[in-house]
Amino acid sequence: MSQLRKGTLEYCVLALLRDGQRYGFELVRALSQADGLLVSEGTIYPLLSRLRRDQLVSTSWQESEAGPPRRYYQLTDAGKRALADFSDEWARFRDAVDALVTTQGEQGDERAC
Amino acid sequence: MNVHADPLVDDYLRRLDAAASALPAHQREELVSDIRDHLQEALRQTPAGDTAAVRTALDRLGPPEEIAAAADPPPGQPAAAPGQANGLAIASVLLAVLWFAGIGAVLALVLGYRARTQIKNSAGSQTGSGLATAGIILGWIGITILVAGVILIAFHPNKPQ
Repeated sequence: MSQLRKGTLEYCVLALLRDGQRYGFELVRALSQADGLLVSEGTIYPLLSRLRRDQLVSTSWQESEAGPPRRYYQLTDAGKRALADFSDEWARFRDAVDALVTTQGEQGDERAC
Repeated sequence: MNVHADPLVDDYLRRLDAAASALPAHQREELVSDIRDHLQEALRQTPAGDTAAVRTALDRLGPPEEIAAAADPPPGQPAAAPGQANGLAIASVLLAVLWFAGIGAVLALVLGYRARTQIKNSAGSQTGSGLATAGIILGWIGITILVAGVILIAFHPNKPQ
């Protein structure tokens, strides 16, 4: 289960950036609100660092109205493509798993991202 | 509150830094600073000395070891297999020592230089650059002996009849 979560999490981060840039803490809080997605908040930061090294996101430091400057993350073109590919793939995958796992009625409609 | 002065935060960041020791230095510093910034955001409205709030924020982050483990292993080879000596470097030294009427020395130079390039490109996963250098030096000595021998034979004034 943790492998599945780990693999999906990075696309959830990309999805959160679809509508514009966000800073680390903001991303972490948004992910924490999705039930069962995030075990420990701290593990998001190594993931963000990897996304940046893979050039799926870019970062920029911006002043905050109070406190120290914040590092903002935004999607690169490669990140947008990766997210679009994943979204298609995920829809097929989810339907296939649902069809097999859900034996009768009661289908969870939890939407993680 | 300012997290820079908090002993609990200090302790947590020290554990994180230690747990991340396998990461490249810049990646490790970035991770620690990201986590510090996160705590600064999380505890911005918290009065200094509210240890319960600090503990909650740290608990939510999770164990530092888990955060460090979520980071990539160092680039290049898996950490489990630390530097193997480059095979060409070993061959270079062997050929230089055996010499083989000068052919060994020439091969030692070729292999020695090639080994050095391979080691340089391996980003730390291969060792043996000292060996390669030894092969190169011995190779040049071998070539010098070869050339000196040829000159001596060619220009020897008292050739036996």
